[in-house]
Amino acid sequence: MSGWADHLTIAPIIIPLLAGAAMILLGDRRRPINALLGVASVLAQLALAIALLMAADQEQALGTATVRVYRLGDWPALFGIVLVLDRLSALMLVLTALLGLAALVFSLARWHRAGAYFHPLFQFQLMGLNGAFLTGDLFNLFVFFEVMLAASYGMAMHGSGIARVRAGLHYLAINLATSLLFLIGVSMIYGIAGTLNMAELAGRVAPLAGEDRALLEAGAAILGVAFLIKAGMWPLGFWLPTTYAAAGAAPAAIISILSKVGVYAVLRLWLLLFGEGAGVSAGFGGNWLLLGGLLTIAFGSVAVLATQNTARLAGANVLVSSGTLLAAIGSGQVGVTGGALLYLASSVLAIGAFFLLVELVERGREVGADVLAVTREAFGGEEDDPYDDEVGVAIPASTAILGLSFLTCALLLAGLPPLSSFLAKFAMLAPLFAPGGSTSPGSWALLAALMLSGLATIVSMTRAGIEVFWTTPATVLPRVRVIEIAPVVLLLGLCVALTAGAGPAMRYMEATSQMLHAPRDYVRGVIGPAAAGSGTGAAL
Amino acid sequence: MPDALILLSSIALPFLGAIVAGLLPTHARNAAAWLAGAIALSMLAFVWAAYPTVADGGVVRHAIPWMPALGLDFSLRMDGFAWLFAGLVSGVGALVVLYARYYMSAEDPVPRFFAFLLAFMGAMTGVVLSGNLVQLAFFWELTSLFSFLLIGYWHHTAAAREGARMALTVTATGGLCLFAGVLVLGHIVGSYDLDVVLASGERIRSHALYLPALILILLGALTKSAQFPFHFWLPQAMAAPTPVSAYLHSATLVKAGVFLMARLWPVMAGTEAWFWIVGTAGVATLLLGAYVAIFQLDLKGLLAYSTISHLGLITLLLGLNSELAMVAAIFHILNHATFKASLFMAVGIIDHETGTRDIRRLSGLNRSMPFTARLALVAAAAMAGVPLLNGFLSKEMFFAEALSAQTSQLFLLQILPLAATAASAFSVAYSLRFIHGAFFGPDPTDLPRTPHEPPAWMRFPVEILVLACIIVGILPAATVGPFLDMAAHAALGAATPDYSLAVWHGFSLPLLMSFIALTAGVALYIGLQKQLRSAPDGPPMLRSFDGRRMFERAMVFLSWRLARTLERLLGTRRLQPQLRLLVCVAILAGAIAVQVRGLGPGNVMPSGIDPVLALVWVGGAACAFGAAWLAKFHRLAALILLGGTGLVTCVTFVWFSAPDLALTQLLVEVVTTILLLLGLRWLPKRIDNPATRQAEVVTLTRRLRDLTIAISAGAGMAGLAYGVMTRSPPELLAQHFLARAYTEGGGTNVVNVILVDFRGFDTLGEITVLAAVALVAYALLRRFRPAPDSVEIPEQQRDQSAYDEARPDRSEGDTVADWLLVPSVLTRLLFPVIILVAAYLLLRGHDQPGGGFVAGLTASIAIILQYMIGGTHWVEDRLRVPPLRWMGVGLLLAAGTGLAAWFFGRPFMTSYFSYLGLPLLGEVPTASALVFDIGVFALVVGATVLILIALAHQSVRGQRAVPRSSEGRAAATRVAGDD
Repeated sequence: MSGWADHLTIAPIIIPLLAGAAMILLGDRRRPINALLGVASVLAQLALAIALLMAADQEQALGTATVRVYRLGDWPALFGIVLVLDRLSALMLVLTALLGLAALVFSLARWHRAGAYFHPLFQFQLMGLNGAFLTGDLFNLFVFFEVMLAASYGMAMHGSGIARVRAGLHYLAINLATSLLFLIGVSMIYGIAGTLNMAELAGRVAPLAGEDRALLEAGAAILGVAFLIKAGMWPLGFWLPTTYAAAGAAPAAIISILSKVGVYAVLRLWLLLFGEGAGVSAGFGGNWLLLGGLLTIAFGSVAVLATQNTARLAGANVLVSSGTLLAAIGSGQVGVTGGALLYLASSVLAIGAFFLLVELVERGREVGADVLAVTREAFGGEEDDPYDDEVGVAIPASTAILGLSFLTCALLLAGLPPLSSFLAKFAMLAPLFAPGGSTSPGSWALLAALMLSGLATIVSMTRAGIEVFWTTPATVLPRVRVIEIAPVVLLLGLCVALTAGAGPAMRYMEATSQMLHAPRDYVRGVIGPAAAGSGTGAAL
Repeated sequence: MPDALILLSSIALPFLGAIVAGLLPTHARNAAAWLAGAIALSMLAFVWAAYPTVADGGVVRHAIPWMPALGLDFSLRMDGFAWLFAGLVSGVGALVVLYARYYMSAEDPVPRFFAFLLAFMGAMTGVVLSGNLVQLAFFWELTSLFSFLLIGYWHHTAAAREGARMALTVTATGGLCLFAGVLVLGHIVGSYDLDVVLASGERIRSHALYLPALILILLGALTKSAQFPFHFWLPQAMAAPTPVSAYLHSATLVKAGVFLMARLWPVMAGTEAWFWIVGTAGVATLLLGAYVAIFQLDLKGLLAYSTISHLGLITLLLGLNSELAMVAAIFHILNHATFKASLFMAVGIIDHETGTRDIRRLSGLNRSMPFTARLALVAAAAMAGVPLLNGFLSKEMFFAEALSAQTSQLFLLQILPLAATAASAFSVAYSLRFIHGAFFGPDPTDLPRTPHEPPAWMRFPVEILVLACIIVGILPAATVGPFLDMAAHAALGAATPDYSLAVWHGFSLPLLMSFIALTAGVALYIGLQKQLRSAPDGPPMLRSFDGRRMFERAMVFLSWRLARTLERLLGTRRLQPQLRLLVCVAILAGAIAVQVRGLGPGNVMPSGIDPVLALVWVGGAACAFGAAWLAKFHRLAALILLGGTGLVTCVTFVWFSAPDLALTQLLVEVVTTILLLLGLRWLPKRIDNPATRQAEVVTLTRRLRDLTIAISAGAGMAGLAYGVMTRSPPELLAQHFLARAYTEGGGTNVVNVILVDFRGFDTLGEITVLAAVALVAYALLRRFRPAPDSVEIPEQQRDQSAYDEARPDRSEGDTVADWLLVPSVLTRLLFPVIILVAAYLLLRGHDQPGGGFVAGLTASIAIILQYMIGGTHWVEDRLRVPPLRWMGVGLLLAAGTGLAAWFFGRPFMTSYFSYLGLPLLGEVPTASALVFDIGVFALVVGATVLILIALAHQSVRGQRAVPRSSEGRAAATRVAGDD
């Protein structure tokens, strides 16, 4: 641990920290410099994340260490804090940086002027996210959750206004309660297992005595509740659509990935602590995850259908996406997790893009137009003579791009062909209906849930899209700047790339999933080969 | 020509063309048409190039790996059956493009139209050429999507929007079902590859999941082919431009459903379930469509229902489980495509040249557009099944099959021929109505435009298609024979039956049925004359049974009433229920987890209870109860009581020898309590609205419920804490810290070494949290405008001002100044002392209780005191703490200490300590951690002061809103600045 290249692992945390600190010193008035610094920081993070992703992917191929471990303060992993970079962390880093870049560039058009200290808070937001994805220590995860949350309060309420502040304060109260649960869970796990290092924990679950196991599992369950609140699982996620819908476009885009942090934490810790090597505890709570995920999909779909407001529609879609991921993870199969990761990637990008897009298409529309749409549906539209006006209306280029983006978003969110979320849904379902195996009721439920949620989304998105693009007279031109539409196009373009490159993408996701389900390499990477053999169970 | 080129070009060309067309200028009408035409023709050429291979029973294949991890290739496969469809798609496509060039108005932004049309062409080719079922479902949904865009092309009309939405909703739902069905089928077969699936008929039919798979796949096929009860979307789709109707809604899109059923026929048909589902849907659609078609007023509506009926016929043929019927079905698919596409185009010409499609307004067009009339007449005759035209041949085959259907249900054998004849009679009647209504009778009056023949090239596609109807009708075996044979062999394989394509089969029962149908149809039309002339749109008896209206109502119910009710029932937007749920779920999670395993005693024996500590705790608990009790009614008292609980916690830490924790707890208590007190001023007054007060019982129940939850949560937490604290794991992190704090961390205060060294990274994160929180608080409060009821100056301040004003020798604010004289002197004297204590705490932190965090809090207390006693203006005139600079420097210092390790080739945050010889002080233990601690100190001071300033300036700004505030402020400044 001495080469400069080793420090790259921690750089995704340090870069935004330094950038944020420098922005505080520069002051809020010097926006252009702040903006420049912010973009530079995000671009550096993106480059770094891509480099780390390639590194994480390559090392497996050579058969050397599969994880990069960074021991902070040069203390042994046994009691120091470690950062661990594996495929999953690298993937999440790349997604964060992409979303960060898109949201930041978008915000430069107008949002960053809507309130004080947007730029440093944005950097702290990224720092928290990156840290949460990188850390290999349970308490350090809490710390980065806090960094992420503290900044997200600012993001959610950025720009003020009654609705935003009300939703933001609800969000704040719920997250404080969540943090409390997080702390209770962590301290119970520490009290029983005696360590905070995740890799070390993995080995300490199996040998626990019965009466100790109950307490550890209770701690894990409470910790899980904290993560599930973040992920927005029913009935813990009612705050989510409201908060996200009330937030401004660029802030909403970046905090939309926060729900995926909850999913990430479940994925990481559940498979590490209660994977195959956990002895009696193996698979602890899996059915709850599946059930909770299914209920979340159901509620999310209902919310998607019931919504009258495009921003809230985006929020409701976050619920559907969280539910899908939780249910897929809960089914506990390697293949399904691989598909879920592909779904996660495309849903992060699509939802981020949609939050940005919503603001663009809503611009210049009359207030209350959404309510009218539903009323018109209920009471029938104005009956115009179908024989008249059989000459189409030319669509200006900006509207055409917005419309195309909206369509792409709709397809991605609904999981319809031809884009990546369809492939991801296929990748999740195919292993459940693998030839020769038996199909469980859970698999059928997931199949039905995915189909019905897709249907609900398409119904709702069609309604919204028709109302926005086809009913509004084309004379009202939305004023959209290039730096606003470019981020949307970037994010959606990446989804298209994921579709075309589904082969390599899926190979990466499968490899990630295999590592998650057989965490021997992870454990060995963090605490050395000696400990890996004991109790962490069979690995491929 | 290589297979790959043929297949990939057929798929890729239209999509590429779509992109190019989409980029053309808005009114590049000719360029777009030429492009689309060229692409359709070259597709046709590519398809034709594959003919030699497929004609020999060969299969053209090409696969590109797509998601190899899941065994999914992008695989294209063309056999005779797919070839026929691909030819249909590209051939009719080329004709439609030509037609559309003349049909669409010059002002229309046609590049968009052609872009969608080409994309649809590509998607449809994808459906027929897919070599695996997942890919088929993939392109299937794409056809729905482009159909949606094409129907909605004239989206400024409500009909187009509604039609497009309905078509998409119905067909996309079907597509999702198909996808699910494909997954189940893949589960049964073990592969999604079409070749493998087609080879596993026995396995599929005998599998336990056959029925679910069948139902799901059929849902997809029947919705797409507009079969009863999903037929209602097709008439609504007629809002599309007529070329779209001719192409999608007669020749291609709607044929995708029957294509799929025919494709899977060899492996899924042949069962009772297939017969019942497919057959029933087919019969019902056949009869219903034909019957309703008679009563349509819109010519396109008539054709739409006729299409539904003919699709029903094809479906019925497929449902009969007979190979011969299957051949007839394929034949009828072809025939229907030719005559129906030409009829749609003819209607388009009528619409284009007269300005209306209303059958009541049209008549006698035979005189103004004689050539078009003849073409339409032939095509309509083919539709009616008149001999010597292609429609007659497949209808004869249908009659023969209806007579010889094999089924266990005997009564069906009597019903089927009857139904077939009746439907055929209906079709004669609506064909007659179409021709007679539009082309014969008196000259039309009151038409929007004066009718005349269309441009020659616009009529050309119709001529080609009608010519095909005639040639096939007269010489079937010589023209369509080889192709049909090839398609049938490809679809059925060795099971292909012998059949004869001939116009004359001698006098037989089918011929008699044809004759009856023709006669009955003519009679029916004549009989209905009077009624048809006056009747409104829609069929008698079924008029109120409007599929569109029902669909809309269902959608409104589902997506509006039901969804909103459910959302309200299953969710909430209020905070309190959400927090209640959160606590309940956490209780349940913990309780269930403990319940499952059972809890045993720990390995650490609890020590005895010390009465003094117990007493302290009783006090603390009382404070906590009091705080909860008063939280709603008396915020100030609640806050003070909360401070009491905090103090008890602090005493507990001291009791158990944790001076660091105690110190931190004490300072945190002080700072937070003061900041909260400052914020309390701006909270709105308690809202007490007697009108909305609930009944006593309800309130009581709610409180009891909340009490129960609170007690369970508290007791549960206490139980868990007790459980954890009476256990000591064999290896605990803390042991390492204790052992190495001095030897490796260079400090004797273990807590501090943990904070700045072992887990310094956590501290770095936490100070970032503090920085972020301070920024958020500032950003929020900067825009904050207090509630109107808290803007008012407090009563005490008013009284004081009134007292001052009443006396000439006093000026406003003097009373406050008098009152605060002693405290202000004291705090000013204390200021340097507190700062010194802070410095002391900071420096000794590594070895003794103290550290940067505690020191920072201490220093900020000093500043807070000045603000409280001296007032904002007085302090800021004298003491400038630029909080942002402190925060920025603090963060950079802390991070920089971590970074410095990089230059020594060590990881971030690696610490360094040694003894430094300083003048006067001698040997001083120094650690890099001290610099880190100074960073923490600076940040804590900065963040606390920033929050304080945000709150303090709130008072300044808040008073500005009140009249006479400027004097008040001046007075306040003077009060503070008196000394």
